[in-house]
Amino acid sequence: MAQTAATTASQQQPIPPSLALPPSQFARLQPHAYLLAHLSPPASSNQPSIRANGRSPLQFRVTSANAGSLTHTNGSAVVRVGDTAAVCGVRAEILHTDDIASWSVSRPAAPESNKKRRKLADTNQKPTQESADVATQNNKEDGSEDDQEDESYIQDFNLLVPNLSLSTGCAPGFLPGAPPSTLAQGLSHQILSLLHSSRLVREDDLRIWYQPLDLGAEDLERRNESEQMDVDAAQNDQQHKNREIKAFWVLYIDIMIISLAGNPFDAAWAAVVAALRDTKLPRAWWDEDNEMVLCSEAVSEAKKLSLRGMPVASSFVVFEADAAAGWRAVVIPDAEEEEMIDEAKRKGLQRRWILADPDGYEEGLSQERVSVVVDKKDGKVVVLRMEKNGGWAVGPKELRQVVDVSAQRWDEVKLILEQC
Amino acid sequence: MDRRRINGPPSGTRPAVFASSIKTAPGAATERPKRQRQSNELRKIFLKTGIIPTASGSSYVEFEPSASLAAAHSSPQSLIPSSSSLKLACTVHGPKPLPRSATFSPNIVLTTHVKYAPFAARKRKGHIRDTGERDLGVHLETALRGVIVAERWPKSGLDITITVLEAEDDRWWGDAADSHDASWGMMNVLAGCVTAASAAIADARIDCLDLVAGGVAALVSDDSTKDEEGPKLILDADPAEHQSIQSACVVAYMPGRDEITELWLKGDSSKASLGDGDQRVGHEALIDGAVDAARGAHTVLTEAVKESAERFIRQAMG
Repeated sequence: MAQTAATTASQQQPIPPSLALPPSQFARLQPHAYLLAHLSPPASSNQPSIRANGRSPLQFRVTSANAGSLTHTNGSAVVRVGDTAAVCGVRAEILHTDDIASWSVSRPAAPESNKKRRKLADTNQKPTQESADVATQNNKEDGSEDDQEDESYIQDFNLLVPNLSLSTGCAPGFLPGAPPSTLAQGLSHQILSLLHSSRLVREDDLRIWYQPLDLGAEDLERRNESEQMDVDAAQNDQQHKNREIKAFWVLYIDIMIISLAGNPFDAAWAAVVAALRDTKLPRAWWDEDNEMVLCSEAVSEAKKLSLRGMPVASSFVVFEADAAAGWRAVVIPDAEEEEMIDEAKRKGLQRRWILADPDGYEEGLSQERVSVVVDKKDGKVVVLRMEKNGGWAVGPKELRQVVDVSAQRWDEVKLILEQC
Repeated sequence: MDRRRINGPPSGTRPAVFASSIKTAPGAATERPKRQRQSNELRKIFLKTGIIPTASGSSYVEFEPSASLAAAHSSPQSLIPSSSSLKLACTVHGPKPLPRSATFSPNIVLTTHVKYAPFAARKRKGHIRDTGERDLGVHLETALRGVIVAERWPKSGLDITITVLEAEDDRWWGDAADSHDASWGMMNVLAGCVTAASAAIADARIDCLDLVAGGVAALVSDDSTKDEEGPKLILDADPAEHQSIQSACVVAYMPGRDEITELWLKGDSSKASLGDGDQRVGHEALIDGAVDAARGAHTVLTEAVKESAERFIRQAMG
């Protein structure tokens, strides 16, 4: 219908001015037809399929990022994706292990000493158990030894606290001062689970150690005599035995969506990654005299977080030519229908489009959403998270295409985040 | 416990304590930042409208960082920021119909809302508005109510939301709270809020009597001031740069009509030492100073509104 309206309007040259609607009005009155008319231009016009906002279906919006501009944060970033803007501030506070109720119960010994001992044992003895061997190999591949079990600290003790706020007047629908909307709660949880599952932040960076002064040199000697151990190994062991975790850094990651024009997750996640990349933690130690953790204010002593990779989120929606597609009961298409769709595609009649990085207008018109988070390690694409809901149009074939597009997007975003 | 947000560790966390702040180390490198401006010189204001396309009107305000903060940004030495510079975003939604349940109103119903981001201040802010933020909202509402031609929109509402991304300090971080202590930073925030809201309302094309601008003046005494001398009058005071602020005043002022829509004066203004031959009483001088500061902000405001109008014309022309 939209097509015909558009073509007749262009054919009849003298348009009666009373009937002509400006495009913006038409977009409001008939949003679905408006977008459809853009995406499926008449075959005679030879125009490429283009979205109402002027982008091609798989084109992302212009993205920019800026980091480190907020004074009272450990790390901060502003990311703009088109008209959607997210500000993220990372603030580090200290959690004493004395304050953790389950601390002494759950982790009686420092995990690293166990680890060291196990590793020593592994190298001394011939690896008899294959599983142990595989485990150490995995550790080596990851590039750090302490990857396996102690990541659970971050989850168990809630060391990462992301919260996303939409009540900043970013869009008319969200009341300021009201409790977080369902969307805001959902986004906060998505970010939290992605932070956990992608293991972006290394727990090692968040630990604050206490190394008591070595007072008992005699004690060491006595043990040497009695146990006949290698001096080096004993000292090493001793050091790690005495060393204990006294506190953790807790990272409060607050995201304010300043402007919302569709696809908040991609912008929010990019802001989180950019802010974490900018985050510097001061050198901290346990001070026995004051019985508290003290920090050094020198910037030269502060340490940046060493993140695992750089996950990039890309979201897509599926726009159906059939305006009522969202209302029908979902029926899985049988082979005949699939063939018909394929046939139509061959004829150049596309009935559905996958749109990358949807704006608010397109989000309102589509049911099905796909969100992919990818990272690249040594040129290999790793899918960290994949979410798809609302329809059946995206199958394995389309998903592969979506992942390919996301991988291309990763290169773009990487450049932007590295320059900010 | 708030189940709708992600809470941190249940036992709570403590902010980082820097070793230099508890040890009184001799020759500590940290010193109170010095005011580099003249007493009647304002900080530069960055004001931009139309940053949030989904709102009917919007603006962003940023104050120029003080010399010490700018130096800390370019070559960071210490993790403790010496001062901070105001950054806030303002959105206007409306005029829009009131909800069905609302009673009839012959005038526009103005709702103002000021919220600090959790990372805006030295101390982490909660997610729920505290009394200070509510107070700011009320002050902002009075400042704006006198400006908007309210009877032009019966039965409609106007929501003004301000998100403070970085607030001003109440005092220098190294100082302990003294008897003259109050939330001085809030007054600077209010002045910024008024200017930002005024630009955003103009950007939303809502009829106003005039462009209202906010300005702050303060009576301060520094280390250098002698005892017999009273505190001096300065415009646009950054609380981090002064040893003690005796009194401060913020006004929302309409230069075109020479009217003040909001006046907020705190502290003791009786002991001001003004120039020779100045017959004014302390608070008069303080209010005059704040009005002067507002006039300064107004020049920036006019430029921003002009820019917004040009953008609007360009859009209308296509």
